[in-house]
Amino acid sequence: MSQFLQVLLSGLATGSIYALAAIGFALVWQAAQTVNFAQGEFVMVPAFFVLIGMGFFGMPFWLALAFGLALSMLVLGYAFKKLIVEPILPHGGITLIIATMALAILLKETVKESYSAEAQPFPALFSNAPMNFFGAAVSIQDILNLIVSLSIVVVLTLFLNRTRTGRSMQAAAQNPAVAEILGVNVKRMVLYTFLINAALASLAAFLITPVYLAKFSNGETIGLIAFIAAIVGGFNQIRGALVGGLLIGVLDNLTATYVTAQYRAALPLVLLIMIILVRPQGIMGTSEGRSV
Amino acid sequence: MLELRNLVGGYGKITILNGVSFSIPKGTITTMIGPNGAGKSTVFKAIFGLLKIESGNVLIDGQDVTRQTPRQMIAHGVTYVPQGRNIVPQLSVYHNLELGGVTAPDQDKVKQRIETVMDQFPMLREFRNRKAVELSGGQQKQLEVARALLLDPKLILIDEPSIGLSPVLVQEVFKTLIRLRDQGVTILMVEQNAKAALAMSDYGIVLELGQTRMHDKASNLLVDPRVGQLFLGGHVEEASPADAH
Ligand SMILES: Nc1ncnc2c1ncn2[C@@H]1O[C@H](COP(=O)(O)OP(=O)(O)OP(=O)(O)O)[C@@H](O)[C@H]1O
Ligand SMILES: [Mg+2]
Repeated sequence: MSQFLQVLLSGLATGSIYALAAIGFALVWQAAQTVNFAQGEFVMVPAFFVLIGMGFFGMPFWLALAFGLALSMLVLGYAFKKLIVEPILPHGGITLIIATMALAILLKETVKESYSAEAQPFPALFSNAPMNFFGAAVSIQDILNLIVSLSIVVVLTLFLNRTRTGRSMQAAAQNPAVAEILGVNVKRMVLYTFLINAALASLAAFLITPVYLAKFSNGETIGLIAFIAAIVGGFNQIRGALVGGLLIGVLDNLTATYVTAQYRAALPLVLLIMIILVRPQGIMGTSEGRSV
Repeated sequence: MLELRNLVGGYGKITILNGVSFSIPKGTITTMIGPNGAGKSTVFKAIFGLLKIESGNVLIDGQDVTRQTPRQMIAHGVTYVPQGRNIVPQLSVYHNLELGGVTAPDQDKVKQRIETVMDQFPMLREFRNRKAVELSGGQQKQLEVARALLLDPKLILIDEPSIGLSPVLVQEVFKTLIRLRDQGVTILMVEQNAKAALAMSDYGIVLELGQTRMHDKASNLLVDPRVGQLFLGGHVEEASPADAH
């Protein structure tokens, strides 16, 4: 029982971090019909921004985190929208998908060639010490990762639902033509979405990299998981992406512990196929209407 | 109040409007009719800054507003209710209304206006916390009309409000428009339901192939045999204001 609790909690912790990437993925899809196959690399790169901040500019860790967040929003948010999505989207969704795939390779190779091909240690935000939780020895890091990512989701949801800017963003995503005739600055709302996505990816990076170490190839799994979590959850919904992320995190940990760790990487795909067969609209999704 | 001078424009390389000219006076209702594809909706888009205008002018109260953005048009007191469904599906009725005032600097005033508008449409107050997508088609149209009133517009462009509405609801919408007209608001409407629409209008415009073909008092158009043949199903003599009820 205590082992189960331990496995469950650490699964939820990792899953909640996946969820951050999945939510960003879903937001960008809704606001700009962009299926971002570089989302995993968007989680990989910010860790290197932080390492550059510390190693190259000699920043203390906390400042390097702020630097990494800001630089990610600039590069993976603003520049991504202006230089890739805006010029390519008019040529069609498929073209844009291919462009994001190319971007993924570019980011990976750039990090590999210009920084390092080896996994780099990354300072932990939270202590890894174990803590007694109802008889289970869980790491403080897991608990805090879970709390922090869930708080981020709560703040984001409150922002989207409780502020006028958030609601204008929803309008721009759900019905851009109407948003425009009502005077919503649709372009700016879409830009906000890209900035939020970059911020979510960076925060996911800051939480997950201490566990996985910083490596150029980190994005491969995370990107796939974010994509699958978004689909499992219903592609259009924050809630869905959250549930999808948590589900994958937990199932992944459970199978690795109780069944086999060997086919671990295949699990999200199996889940994806099952969902497509049973509930093509996703767990939380409805077949009609887009929603944030 | 609103004047179009020889407006030419279209989508990409295709020209749809081939010189549309008319002017409509303040505090009147004008109905624009014409066959499908004549360019009626395109005229609205051109006025509201959603169309590439090649030449010609749009004037509001004598001021040239050609090629201004929707946000600028809203600032001039114009609102636009397009054809079809125009709600934000997953936002509540209340927040859809709020979006009607999204450009206003004074949001406290917008809150007051929402209350006033909900007084005029009690259904919206009742369902204020429902998602807009959960309303019926007729209720959604009422929501759109109400939302268009949020900033106290001077000019309302309304495109085929009766589509999908029951006859009773159509009369409700028409009554709202008449009440607004009596308050001094100028209304330009496109309606398939030409007889009923002309019957409640002051003026009528016939648009064909992207050009103004006729522009007259609505009562004259109602009895004009050419209009009757073209758009009113040939039974012109039956067309009287009584048909609207
Ligand atoms: N977005 C668009 N891109 C290209 N062509 C368009 C577009 N919208 C409309 N058209 C074309 O412009 C012409 C006029 O369309 P418009 O919608 O203005 O007609 P309408 O008079 O409003 O017709 P209806 O009574 O069917 O609403 C049509 O030939 C239509 O196919
Ligand atoms: Mg039309």
